[in-house]
Amino acid sequence: MAKFITIGERIHCISPAIREAMATRNPEPILKRAKEQLDAGATYLDVNIGPAENDGEELMKWAVKLLQENFDNVPLALDTANRKAIEAGISVYNRSKGKPIVNSADAGSRIENIDLAAANDAIVIALCSADGIAADNDERMVHCQNLLERGLSLGMESEDLWFDPLFLVIKGMQDKQMEVLEAIKMFSDMGLNSTGGLSNNSNGMPKHIRPIMDATMVAMCMMQGLTSAIVNPCDQRLMETIKSADVIKNNTLYADSYLEL
Amino acid sequence: MAFTPKKQAFNAKINAVTLGTGDRSIVIGGENVLPFYTFDAPMENSPKIAVEIRDTGMEGETLPGMLSFYEGCTTAADMAKKAETMPGASAICLHFESADPNGANKSVEECVELAKAVADATSLPIIVMGCKNIEKDAQLFASISDALQGKNILVLSSREENYKTVGASAGLAYNQKVGAESAVDINLAKQLNVLLTQLGVPAASICMNLGSSAAGYGFEYLSSTLDRVKAAALAQNDTMLQMPIVTPVSTETWGVKEAMLPESEAPEWGPVEERGIEMEVCTASACLVGGSNVVIMRHPASIATIAKFIDSLM
Repeated sequence: MAKFITIGERIHCISPAIREAMATRNPEPILKRAKEQLDAGATYLDVNIGPAENDGEELMKWAVKLLQENFDNVPLALDTANRKAIEAGISVYNRSKGKPIVNSADAGSRIENIDLAAANDAIVIALCSADGIAADNDERMVHCQNLLERGLSLGMESEDLWFDPLFLVIKGMQDKQMEVLEAIKMFSDMGLNSTGGLSNNSNGMPKHIRPIMDATMVAMCMMQGLTSAIVNPCDQRLMETIKSADVIKNNTLYADSYLEL
Repeated sequence: MAFTPKKQAFNAKINAVTLGTGDRSIVIGGENVLPFYTFDAPMENSPKIAVEIRDTGMEGETLPGMLSFYEGCTTAADMAKKAETMPGASAICLHFESADPNGANKSVEECVELAKAVADATSLPIIVMGCKNIEKDAQLFASISDALQGKNILVLSSREENYKTVGASAGLAYNQKVGAESAVDINLAKQLNVLLTQLGVPAASICMNLGSSAAGYGFEYLSSTLDRVKAAALAQNDTMLQMPIVTPVSTETWGVKEAMLPESEAPEWGPVEERGIEMEVCTASACLVGGSNVVIMRHPASIATIAKFIDSLM
């Protein structure tokens, strides 16, 4: 099995510093957050430019070039509701370190993002929901099948569709957590890759609780076969848990210094 | 329907490491396939054979094949010059057996002089093998690395106990290649590479000695270690295991009963020399198919056989 893939989530326009930097095309705050995440062990970086309705294409191109030129063609997840911006980002993307990830498609109004990924030989995050949260795993798996079939019919390899069960917030949806974990197992049993915004589970919890909950969640998810997650790689407890679970799953060979790698 | 084999070249590759300088320098490693899986992709560099020459030269040598090949030679330097002409020989492994404080305890100065003489006698890359005494080896490697600066030698090996001194001298101060020796312990193999790189030795200056044993003497442990290391390096892209592997064969095989018991005591086993050659050939070929990028061997007849073996599989 391959090592768990972490997608760093900290370049996100919801952060005032990043939003400001994107608006004024100021590289420094973005490069700083990129470096922090890569130093902490992120493989991919997510680039969330928000809806970006006005200048999305220019902004995404700028961000892709900025990050790849400064960090040895770091692989990126292009995260926006603006499809043209994703296409523009891919047009300047260097894939020597990994294919771009389209973040994301769903089984509802965003299903055409599968087509976009297929046309551009990209990976796509396939959210197993339509326009609302799936009621149960029967519905989740119907979405999964639809998304998979659409991708395959367009010539994609199944490994390039990364299925997202949609992580749910514990404070409010505590009774749904085991279902999410079971969905991951179903993806895994079908030989599919999976990912998702894992830290959503701890949304609204006190700051000191979140790393504990996220680390526990990632360990349980990896047991179920989760192959990737969109996370904050600067969370040391989380990253140590991922590295340890990778050792236990025999995805990586143990050495005494494994946490430093 | 015609059978179309699925090629399984990996996206990861073994580091290509250069030993020696000039026309006879060699590059080991570099492949992105399992050993000899040339049907998946060409192996970038063929595995190489280093000729073991002991610091005592021809002293005490009794095997007719060795006496005949090295006829007229006395010292290790004479032998190194002669070994250059041996088909299949790509490097000289100078083995400082008699530096051992529990044995002849040859001084570091004497060893350095000998190393210089050998380096002057041959243009082949030089691998320096110690005496297995931790402290003495550290001194030996530092002094020889200093004396042979610019020759791009490999010292065999740094271990868990002395990697700091050997890494700092041979690897950092004198810019030579450093062997990392772990006795058939895969986790330690990785850990030593981590520690050496954390010390500042570039990953591309490290070779692994994963340990060694003669066929029939616990070889299965070495074999599974070789397999596991290559699998982690290639399939899991583990950069801390992508160093090429150098395996001493002759030091193990010529010391076992099969290679030593006189014919008078075991007439049914046949001539000693033939037995020794067979042990050396069996062990070396098994190491190579397991993933050794360099095997260190002694007898010209075994070396000729293994050279042919490598050529025919490439």
